[in-house]
Amino acid sequence: MDLLTVPFMRNVMLAGVLVALGLAPLSVYVVLRRIVFVGAAVAEISSAGVALAILFNLEPFPVALILTILTFLGFSRAADNPRLPLEALIGMLYAGGSAAAVLLIAKSPRGEGDILNVLFGNILTVPLPLLWMMVIAFGVVAAIQYLAAKEFLIVAYDPDMARALGIRVELWNTLFYVALGGSLRAAFVLATVIGVVATVVGIAGSYWLDLPTGPTIVGILAVLFGLSYLWAATRRA
Amino acid sequence: MPAELLRARGVALGYGGRTVLRNLDFTIERGDFLGVMGPNGSGKTTLLRAMLGLIKPLAGTMEWVAQNGGPPRIGYVPQRERLDPNFPLSALEVAVMGRFGKLGAMRRAGRADVEIALGCLTRVGMDRHAHSPYRSLSGGQQQRVLIARALAGEPDALLLDEPTNGMDIEAERAIMELLLDLQQTNATTILFVTHLLSAIQNFARRVALITRDGSLLIGPKGEILAPQSLARAYTEEI
Repeated sequence: MDLLTVPFMRNVMLAGVLVALGLAPLSVYVVLRRIVFVGAAVAEISSAGVALAILFNLEPFPVALILTILTFLGFSRAADNPRLPLEALIGMLYAGGSAAAVLLIAKSPRGEGDILNVLFGNILTVPLPLLWMMVIAFGVVAAIQYLAAKEFLIVAYDPDMARALGIRVELWNTLFYVALGGSLRAAFVLATVIGVVATVVGIAGSYWLDLPTGPTIVGILAVLFGLSYLWAATRRA
Repeated sequence: MPAELLRARGVALGYGGRTVLRNLDFTIERGDFLGVMGPNGSGKTTLLRAMLGLIKPLAGTMEWVAQNGGPPRIGYVPQRERLDPNFPLSALEVAVMGRFGKLGAMRRAGRADVEIALGCLTRVGMDRHAHSPYRSLSGGQQQRVLIARALAGEPDALLLDEPTNGMDIEAERAIMELLLDLQQTNATTILFVTHLLSAIQNFARRVALITRDGSLLIGPKGEILAPQSLARAYTEEI
């Protein structure tokens, strides 16, 4: 475990595990609601927020967070419009966020190195203050997921039934999108375990094999998906 | 005289400025067993959605009549096909959803709620399948689970959208007999929407027929299924 003696690697490991713990259960709904590219859209909007912060010499994390939350407050409203397909809306957010980030960076006084960091980020550069902000943010997200589990379930599964029961579908949808930033319970547990394991193994593997960390984690997840797909296919046969 | 449960006066319903149903004046009584029929696209589901409060009338008023100081509790059974089969839910997890309206915001279902949902699954003959994946059940079994879900909310009335759609005659009969039993044993008001004449003819006590001009004929089965009434809804002779 010599990698944990390197200070920045401890931060990396903690940040990765926090992301996996906070977001893995939400990812179950993201898949079930068929809005998987919402994650890419979130990343672009948040990139635009960081670019905006750099342009005006502000702290990037809060600006990105506020811009992302405001955008997804609007998104949850527009998502209720039956005439506007969700994929189209997510596509527009992705393209709009990406364009905004590039345009803002073009006017930024800082150089190309910043541009790459803004667009792709780097899990290895997580500083301690940011780690504390992540603890708070993902703690809030995890608490919302636990407390609002039944609301998230029914508004995703049967919104008409939810309305008939007097549950405020628009409100909970808004909270869901903002929080994005074997039952079903088994799926939540499994998603969280897989997320944490892939993150830890990915960070350790990237350290020992001298590979880029983010792609290593995603690569492990892709391999796990392939294996689980094959396993399910074998069981069906 | 039976007590009123739902009262509609001068109601017009539609979407996006287009009126589908107009001049609706009717009453549903407690303990009723009412079948709503009409041609495809005539507005059957629109009427049901208005009753559930999912759409607002373009004109007029539609109101559930309070009794014992509170509004009646309504159980909704949607069309099975509308629910996403990819959700990895067990039959019991689906049935427990019927309790969600009784819990406050951000309160999780407890043991008592699970017991009630299990009781409802037993009531519809699905207790043996409580832990089976909902998506692995047959159409008739899924329908029973959805009825159990609605019953878990302890409703005064059940509103069902095409409850026997896609079923063979035997499964249709089993579901309709279950509804009849609920109405007779628990005095639950049953209102079901269907395009299947057989379900109406064999089981409904009263019938609401949506005509071609968007009005509603409502009355005893014998009266509404008479050829002169049916001719106002269907171009083909039935």
